[in-house]
Amino acid sequence: MARRSLLWIVSLAALIFAYMLVARAISRPDIVPPAEDIAGAFAALVGRGQQSPASDMPGMDMPAHHHHSSDQVDTLLQEGVTLQASLAVTMARVLFGLIVGLPLGMLMGLLMGWSRRADDYLHPIYVLVRSVPPLSLITYIMLWLGHSEAHRLIPIVYAVAVTAVIPTYHGVRDVAGKYVVAARSLGARGRLLLAKVVLPAAAPAMLGGLRYSVAIAWMTAVGAEMLMAENGMGNLLVGGGMWSSRLQMRSDPAVIIVGILVLAGAGWAMDLAARAWSARLTRWAR
Amino acid sequence: MMGAVRVRRAIVALVAVAVLYGIAAQIGRGRLPDRIWMGAHYVDNVKLLPTWQQLAEEGAYLVESEILLDSVVVSTRRVAIGLVLGSVAGILLGLLTGWASRIESLADPWVTFFRFAPALALLPLYVVWFGYGETSKVLLIATNVAVITLLGAHQGVRGVPRVYLDAAASLGAGRWLRFRKIVLPAAFPSIFGSVRIAVGLAWVTIVVAELIDARMPSLGYLLALSGTYPRVPTMLIALATVGALVLVFDLLALLLHARATRWMGRTA
Amino acid sequence: MTATLSPPALEAEDVSYTYSGPPPTHALQNLTLRVRDNEFLAVLGPVGCGKTTLLRIFAGFLRPTSGKVRCAGSGIDGPGWQRGYVLQEQAIFPWMTVRENVEFGLLAKGVEPSAREAVSDELIKLIGLTAFEAAYPKDLSAGMSKMVEVVRVLATDPSILLLDEPFGALDAQTRARMQDALARLWEQRRKTVLFVTHDVEEALYLADRIVVLSERPGKLKAQFEVAVPRPRSVNTRFSAGFLALKREIWDATGR
Repeated sequence: MARRSLLWIVSLAALIFAYMLVARAISRPDIVPPAEDIAGAFAALVGRGQQSPASDMPGMDMPAHHHHSSDQVDTLLQEGVTLQASLAVTMARVLFGLIVGLPLGMLMGLLMGWSRRADDYLHPIYVLVRSVPPLSLITYIMLWLGHSEAHRLIPIVYAVAVTAVIPTYHGVRDVAGKYVVAARSLGARGRLLLAKVVLPAAAPAMLGGLRYSVAIAWMTAVGAEMLMAENGMGNLLVGGGMWSSRLQMRSDPAVIIVGILVLAGAGWAMDLAARAWSARLTRWAR
Repeated sequence: MMGAVRVRRAIVALVAVAVLYGIAAQIGRGRLPDRIWMGAHYVDNVKLLPTWQQLAEEGAYLVESEILLDSVVVSTRRVAIGLVLGSVAGILLGLLTGWASRIESLADPWVTFFRFAPALALLPLYVVWFGYGETSKVLLIATNVAVITLLGAHQGVRGVPRVYLDAAASLGAGRWLRFRKIVLPAAFPSIFGSVRIAVGLAWVTIVVAELIDARMPSLGYLLALSGTYPRVPTMLIALATVGALVLVFDLLALLLHARATRWMGRTA
Repeated sequence: MTATLSPPALEAEDVSYTYSGPPPTHALQNLTLRVRDNEFLAVLGPVGCGKTTLLRIFAGFLRPTSGKVRCAGSGIDGPGWQRGYVLQEQAIFPWMTVRENVEFGLLAKGVEPSAREAVSDELIKLIGLTAFEAAYPKDLSAGMSKMVEVVRVLATDPSILLLDEPFGALDAQTRARMQDALARLWEQRRKTVLFVTHDVEEALYLADRIVVLSERPGKLKAQFEVAVPRPRSVNTRFSAGFLALKREIWDATGR
């Protein structure tokens, strides 16, 4: 076990080191920013101060267009954008999507898994619905709701709900079946049956799908922000600013890399949390 | 398992949805606002819920003018190339990391990074590196597909029941033979299952990538354009087309999965 | 004369059942069967002869394609605690402790916690699992889990028990022990039991009467009264009468 962690750390270090070498070798800081730029951008965006112009760095030959990229960080700072705030906004959208979307999807999955009849009618509709990528709806929704928060949140809720259906469906239909038979022969009906038998039996399958829903929520939130928001991590990644100027992404790669790393970290943390929570809920499982 | 009853109910459900939409469109005809604020100006005569007839007319126009076809071809090509590239890379890497644990530990930080970086977040980076155009889009799809299929292949290899390997070893099978004839087939369900998931993700990715870098012809462009005018019938048709393509690809992936796991029972 | 007798606990009259396809499977065909009150009836038959289907019909989960089933004279309208059913598969609720499992039927009936506890105490003691009352099924062996399922169904005190090859997945020794435990239980609390198995010896050891079903579609093939005295023990299995019957049944079922 320790050996594996060692290899992991070595590999990680090698990755960072290799990147630094490549960055120095390519020497195009506007495309492959050196590690110092990345760190600098991170520090600046976290609000600990302005990014010093690269020409201050000793021993670095700066091509003219490098100034342009640090302009972007300055613009962001002027607009009051910080990393923490952006992350918080994105996370809030993710959580909203999960809190609203999961029950919706689970309800649908429960209905379809429980009643053959409902399944026959609803499953074809579900297949159609899930075939349309949630983010593609965003332009249509905008016509109805304009540039509102709801307009951005709906695709996230939609994506989460759609992914939550199948694991629930599978859990109720395939896993819970025999337990329901046993319980009904013990006289259980209605709410007792649902709460004490169906849901616990389907829980492992449902929770297995949870991690996937979380990942989808992040992806959709970031995507929605990239397309149509004025705040959040997605917005940060495409260069901040108003949506109307989205046609041209004016991004400093250092900012992008910082953004991706932070998103990856947040995603990993939430995944860990989801796994821990699932494990707790199914302590009784083998 | 297609009982006649199930097919009948499916048709009823779909027809009901179509009819309900038609009714909603008719009701909305007079009542829905047709003046939309587009952020800087108003636009008149926007049909938020176009009737089936309007949709049919628009559809005919799009098909005749070959706008739809061109868009479909372009987007589909990107998805297909991205899928193939990504699957091949992902499956190979997944098999490798699953089979050789030392390599797995080395590759793990990479994989974890790509796994948790939201798929679309890499787009701006790729644009910076590869510019706007085909490369960044196809590469984005390939990356996302590779991550998913890598995990699928990895888990497939890892999940092979020990007993099969032991049985093969005691029959004298060498490492390579064991891999080819035992591990690989046993990993198929997981691999092709992940391909199916990757298909859905590939389409999500291309749509967003094309929405951001919208240029003719592509389905994303069609969506973006019909959003800026706005021209709702085109938008809905484009959405339906994307949905249909997703369905077709998904069906193909499902068939592939079924074919590769023919020897398994229902529990594939 | 039959008008003065009480109706049989369970009755199947000319029952057929067909599973819709594709292809359609005829599980039972024109089966007529009567289970007397407090009788332990074993249903013997090869794999796929419709034994489980029959049990599920009596339990109320399936309706016969044709023919009638009755319980104590009236029709069967769906599952209920009066016809306790133990499945062939493992159906002990893994998310509940042993005690919670046993008390579940009482919970469904609305019985108070203290009363529930009294009943479950006794039943858990009966199968010797008092030390495991707070354990989860993942910590139990297959045999123990099955016995929990059996007493779980006893907790609501149904008059009829439907057992579907409950010991099929157990090894020979555990099975013998479980058969003993079941026999003890039944001798203490007489109930009508319909017990499905494919094991001739098990049927002989436990039952008052044995009914043999043919291969699919299941029809009544033969019937045997088990005139072996109770209580039965290990010695019974080797007694002359037992072995003679066993021989007879083997010959009759062609196995």
